[in-house]
Amino acid sequence: MENSSILKVKDLVVHYETDDGCVNAVNGLTFDVGVKKTLGLVGETGAGKTTSALSILNLIPGPAGKIKQGEILLDGHDILKMNQSELEKMRGNDVAMIFQDPMTALNPVMTVGEQIAQVFELHQKASKREAFAEAKKMLKMVGIAESRANDYPHQFSGGMRQRVVIAIALACNPKLLLADEPTTALDVTIQAQVLELMSNLIHDRSMSMILITHDLGVVAEICDDVAVMYAGRIVEIGSAGEVFNETAHPYTEGLFNSLPNLKQQGEELVPIKGMMPDPSNLPSGCAFHPRCPYATENCAKEQPGLRHVGGNHFVACDAYNDAAFTLGGGVN
Amino acid sequence: MVNAKSRSMGQETFRRLLKNKGAVCGMVFLVLLVLISIAAGFVYNYDTDIIAINMSQALQPPNANHWFGTDALGRDIFARMLYGARYSLIIGVGSVAIGLVIGVTLGAIAGFYGGFVDQMIMRTVDVFYSIPNIMIAVVIVSLLGTSTMNLLIALCFTCATSFTRIARASVMTIRDQEFVEAAYEIGLPTWKIILKHILPNCLSPIIVQVTLLIGTTIIAASSLSFLGIGVPLPAPEWGAMLSEGRQHIRDAAYMCIIPGLAIMFTVLALNLLGDGLRDALDPKMKR
Repeated sequence: MENSSILKVKDLVVHYETDDGCVNAVNGLTFDVGVKKTLGLVGETGAGKTTSALSILNLIPGPAGKIKQGEILLDGHDILKMNQSELEKMRGNDVAMIFQDPMTALNPVMTVGEQIAQVFELHQKASKREAFAEAKKMLKMVGIAESRANDYPHQFSGGMRQRVVIAIALACNPKLLLADEPTTALDVTIQAQVLELMSNLIHDRSMSMILITHDLGVVAEICDDVAVMYAGRIVEIGSAGEVFNETAHPYTEGLFNSLPNLKQQGEELVPIKGMMPDPSNLPSGCAFHPRCPYATENCAKEQPGLRHVGGNHFVACDAYNDAAFTLGGGVN
Repeated sequence: MVNAKSRSMGQETFRRLLKNKGAVCGMVFLVLLVLISIAAGFVYNYDTDIIAINMSQALQPPNANHWFGTDALGRDIFARMLYGARYSLIIGVGSVAIGLVIGVTLGAIAGFYGGFVDQMIMRTVDVFYSIPNIMIAVVIVSLLGTSTMNLLIALCFTCATSFTRIARASVMTIRDQEFVEAAYEIGLPTWKIILKHILPNCLSPIIVQVTLLIGTTIIAASSLSFLGIGVPLPAPEWGAMLSEGRQHIRDAAYMCIIPGLAIMFTVLALNLLGDGLRDALDPKMKR
């Protein structure tokens, strides 16, 4: 397990220091991504998912954003200690990213062929002509006719553009792919196509992936492991089966309860009460305690650490100090 | 496979430009002007046809031999007009081109990096902006001496300031777009991102400004020549010819009217083209 991970994030802390105070976006994040594994990073808007992904590329938007502490080891090399040219070599070559909105992630005045080709020119020192030929192959691989390499992004539909974005990301066979809500901006049928394409390509090329999403259905479909984030911390992490079938954290339970369920048709959904806390003013102790149906006095005092609850399954909740604790009792 | 959809932005813009009658007129006029100014160099000899004094022919009104008449020194105004087009064009295009390079570079740096660099560049630009164009040019020309080259340098300051502002504003809006972030994520260095991804997206307002500024600069160059600190005499610069005609405005008004009309039509043509380009490059005008 130790040797087979491509990415290790240890105790990562990222803050945005704004004029209105310090925004604690990521507070002590620790996780591993195994070789050829797909990790689903799940959480609400503002949980720090995108910030975590950007820190893996060391691209936290400055000057406000700062990585305060932590280690990000990619294949054993600490990304946070790399200099600018090492970073530029790493980006796109070892780690690539797919964006949420394909409408804005492509340059409107460059043909899609050129946009894919520039990755080859940059990382493989290919000539213009070779790079363009490679770009055409990539287009074919993601299911777009080669003849469209000379078209501009506005001539493609949303799903097609996301395919182009995927082609750019996979161009140099990165070891790790960061997919930041890759299907959120697409409609459901296209979502399925794009997800299938992505998981096929990842398997073919033996790549690892971090899939950031708030869609638990997507996670169930293609992820091996799942990490649930809340207020910049991982509250539950484990294999997809463990997290889905033996849900341990009250927040994860809340997420599942707020999804429609085939077995309980007609029943009202149970939302998690309250709002995501303001990241510049997090509650004391466990950040989830004000919304937690099981919260005790102690929850407001101490930040719980990750606790082993079987297999590869870890949860950050004090309730598991009590061996007899099970979920379900506190939900109305 | 060429269908209505797969046209590059350049082709699409040109197609829409052709639908604008004013812009087409302006374009045709400017193309003719460029051709004329090139041809004039072959047809006329500068020393014998353009600046040679011939007092016996002085002050003839337009006739069959001299279509635009002759000036007080007996020089053919038609020849001088054609030959003079190159001064206006060279100064207009030259100073705008230099201003473009300097201005866009400074503007891109200011807009991209922001903060202290931005403040430094933009406050300097503001200083130049607060002084009237002609005043700056007069100062520079009097420091450097009168010559065509110095006039060109004097006028490029104004162009540079205006390009700096436009480039900065456009770069600031493009800088935060997601595709720029995406360019970082594939590992492109910053200078390449500015050059390949940001600036091409800022081109539309810059192209429009180029055409409009060439017109303004031609007027400024003529004004300076009119004041006697532009292109040195006896070169047939239009502004200088206008100035010479001033003394004869009562008995030989054509000496003023002809260069005046030439300046007016050139600037009008450039403005028509600029307006047409602005509409053609505006995606909201797309049909």
